[in-house]
Amino acid sequence: MVGIVVVSHSRPLAEAAVALACEMVDGDRPPIAVAAGLDEQTYGTDAAAIAEAIGQVDSADGVLVLMDLGSAIMSAEMALEFIDPEVAERVRLTPAPLVEGLVSAVVTAAWGAGLDEVEAEAREGLSGKARHGSDWNLPGASPVLMAPATPGQVREFRWPVRNPHGLHARPAAVLVAGLAGLDAVVELMNASTGRGPVNARSVNKVASLGLRRGDELLARSWGPQADDAVARLEAMAADTFGDRSEFDEPAQQMAEGTGLQVVLAPAVVVDGEVDTSGYEPGPTEAVRLREALGQVADTLQARADESAGAIFAAQRALLTDPELGPAMRRALTSTRSATEAVRTVFTSVAADFDSLPHPYLRERSQDVRSLSRQVLRALVGQPDGDLEVVDQPHVLVVDELDAATAATLDPALCLGVVTLTGGATGHGVIVATGRGVPVLTGRAEAADLTNGDLIGFDPVSQELWLRPDEATVEQICRTATARADDERRAAEDSHEPAVTVSAVQVLVEANISSLADAQRAALAGADGAGLVRTELLWGHRADAPAVQSMADDLVAIGEALGGRTITVRTWDGAADKPLPFLPEPEPELNPFLGERGLRAMRRAPELFRDQLRGIVLASQRTPVRVMFPMVTEPEEVVWARSVLDEVTSEVGADSVPVGIMVEVPAVALRIAEFAPLVDFVSVGTNDLTQYTCAVDRGNAHVASLGRADSPAVLALIGMTCEGLPGVPVAVCGDLASDTDHTATLVGLGVTELSVRPPLVGLVKAAVRGATLI
Amino acid sequence: MLTTEKAAAWLDDYARVIHENAAWLTDLDRQIGDADHGSNLERGMTAVEAIPREEYPDAASLLKKAGMTLVSTVGGAAGPLWGTFFLRFAGALDEPGDDATVVAAAMRAGLVGIVQRGKATEGDKTVVDALGPAVRVAEQKASQGASLADTLTAAAEAAAVGRDATIPMVARKGRASYLGDRSAGVQDPGATSITMLVESAARTLA
Repeated sequence: MVGIVVVSHSRPLAEAAVALACEMVDGDRPPIAVAAGLDEQTYGTDAAAIAEAIGQVDSADGVLVLMDLGSAIMSAEMALEFIDPEVAERVRLTPAPLVEGLVSAVVTAAWGAGLDEVEAEAREGLSGKARHGSDWNLPGASPVLMAPATPGQVREFRWPVRNPHGLHARPAAVLVAGLAGLDAVVELMNASTGRGPVNARSVNKVASLGLRRGDELLARSWGPQADDAVARLEAMAADTFGDRSEFDEPAQQMAEGTGLQVVLAPAVVVDGEVDTSGYEPGPTEAVRLREALGQVADTLQARADESAGAIFAAQRALLTDPELGPAMRRALTSTRSATEAVRTVFTSVAADFDSLPHPYLRERSQDVRSLSRQVLRALVGQPDGDLEVVDQPHVLVVDELDAATAATLDPALCLGVVTLTGGATGHGVIVATGRGVPVLTGRAEAADLTNGDLIGFDPVSQELWLRPDEATVEQICRTATARADDERRAAEDSHEPAVTVSAVQVLVEANISSLADAQRAALAGADGAGLVRTELLWGHRADAPAVQSMADDLVAIGEALGGRTITVRTWDGAADKPLPFLPEPEPELNPFLGERGLRAMRRAPELFRDQLRGIVLASQRTPVRVMFPMVTEPEEVVWARSVLDEVTSEVGADSVPVGIMVEVPAVALRIAEFAPLVDFVSVGTNDLTQYTCAVDRGNAHVASLGRADSPAVLALIGMTCEGLPGVPVAVCGDLASDTDHTATLVGLGVTELSVRPPLVGLVKAAVRGATLI
Repeated sequence: MLTTEKAAAWLDDYARVIHENAAWLTDLDRQIGDADHGSNLERGMTAVEAIPREEYPDAASLLKKAGMTLVSTVGGAAGPLWGTFFLRFAGALDEPGDDATVVAAAMRAGLVGIVQRGKATEGDKTVVDALGPAVRVAEQKASQGASLADTLTAAAEAAAVGRDATIPMVARKGRASYLGDRSAGVQDPGATSITMLVESAARTLA
């Protein structure tokens, strides 16, 4: 058994802590020695006494040393210098909290666990407590990385995370699997946020580092095969840990259906909780639990070959996590019931994910809760899948949609899914929409429905109807029929140009925030990108992206769209949508009227210049237009163009078409003055509406006053078209996606509409049907 | 050559100074720490005084014993830090060179040990702020061929200047660092007592 040494300033404190910990174990307990106080009364620590205590409990299994504060650590480090170096090799000093860590260490060591596991459990003492109090914000699971006894042999590996969604569960699973079988300790940290260190053998722990794109992964490894561990990390990092999700998945999965149909059917309300009330714990709970876990793992393994296989493989990796076993054993010791142990452990792991700052990682807690339900079902012998078999068409109402459930939906019967919680990027949503099942997320108001209640929703307008009356039902049916007809027609012609009855071609482009958007838009038939939101494409990074990587990303987007023109908007940061690498503006009383968009670039000219350099480099490989946001005065455009001209001549590229956003009424009113400065303009109807109507978009009390189809806004769009004869005028705000207004916009002279990717076909159809002109 | 007698005189003189100043050191520590520096160090030096000198054939073995004694009797952070200083100092005494060079090198070894142990750098408001300049000046003097007496006198002056410089500093190590900005305005007790050690050496070792 691993030996344990307790170092404290106070001998009574150490002895009482040991007594408390020993309460937890019956029978064999690990050897424990105390090195605390100078004598019974005098506070202090003594390196020589610690060295002696280590000698008392040392064995080939190693020794864990727990310390209280201050000089206890220095004295313990000094003690390592006093003992035989061979013994020191197997002594580990841990930053675990003294009392909680000691309890965990004694219990774990009593099972016969190895030094790594005993130490990991001791450290868990802190995070377990932290999880309990939700408002205790700890900087990381364990603030100090204790070097091994031979610090010279630590190998380091640093890597800026390149994965679009960070090092989430899937790449984390690849990382863990890749290090399997090596005789080396690997600890990982998020060097950018200070989270960690954590054991690299645990998928949960690796994912809980919250490593986002741009964060620096710091790995430290020691042990006989530390070099091999670092070499494997390097190789896996070069392959972004197998993560190409953003590049492969959505395109495949969106191909099957639009998921945009209006649905209406009786509700099937599924309580997310598995009913375990009939479960009777027996004397062999550990065996039952192991069998249930194995059964779920096997099912997931089988599903890993299906189309959304990576998701199930990631769930399987979460399930086979080495930290899960000890946690289950511990929970089983205190609850004595397999179902209770499963609930306790998975709730706490899900809470870890929930506490992460990045929404994408946070939503991985769905995977954990899904696993919990699968294991509970296996324990109580319910069939697989969250659904009882429902043999008539229905709309599923669930707390959240996990991937396992989404994969078992029958699109012929399950017409749609409404979730009470959860965002739009969960695995379950990806799987369901990929299978052509519309999903409406985060609608708590559906909670009071019961089975059989009528429910309908429109995934495009996001309207939700609960128990609609007859008149509403009729209206929903009309909308649904019309939508189905529209979709069918739209899909047939979505890749054809959109030409009005008077033979004017209107380009229907897509608004793009990611490469996946571009792929979706290409499938939907987009004539290019009318707006690439660079602040969404790269703004989640800690540092501004490198010039070359911006160029590469833009070229990838252009290529995904089949080489059609992409319109790249320069950084559009502001107080309400801050960019981490943009100099913080002075506190502003009204950020919407403050240093936004191009205005902010005057204070960060190098950032602006670098982005233009990336855009110009991309223009040499794919057709690109550049667009400046939040322009008010012609002088601003003159300045921005001068920077662009310098960059273009430095790069030696041909000139790039230049446009501005029309979102400030002053620009629309003086549009003729901008005519010589622009090759095109694009109307941002959202901001133009808010500035024209003096309505804060986020304020529900006045929202009704700020309509994008207000005659005032339409008049400004009309003035813009009239003032720029021969110059393309685009609309890229939400108004462009609203097919009720397509004809109006085209009638005013708008020549390009840039819309949400899935709506390209419908908007094209609306253009073809526009009879105003 | 540092004799056992001189080493013993150094320890005795330092013990006397610590007895005289223990209350003041503890009071300094009360303002920015846990109010035990003077009493801890006094307990340690009392134990050092009790070491039977005749059992140790040379200065190095006596100073090593003093270091181990401090490790086991001081209790607070000064135990491992002062203990490390004496152990490393003693371990470096067999280097070749004149007395000033050897003592300067031994002081350097002691400083390196303290830095390794406490992970402090100059400016953190610790013992290093006094000992660092003292070692640099001692090495410089010794390399210029100064006598041991001149070397240690200059080192003691440098230590005192470094000690005084800790007054406005904000502590970044040890218990005082919990106080943040409130630690400014008080002279660091560790820098004070290590300065006493260098001053004591200047009085006794040459």
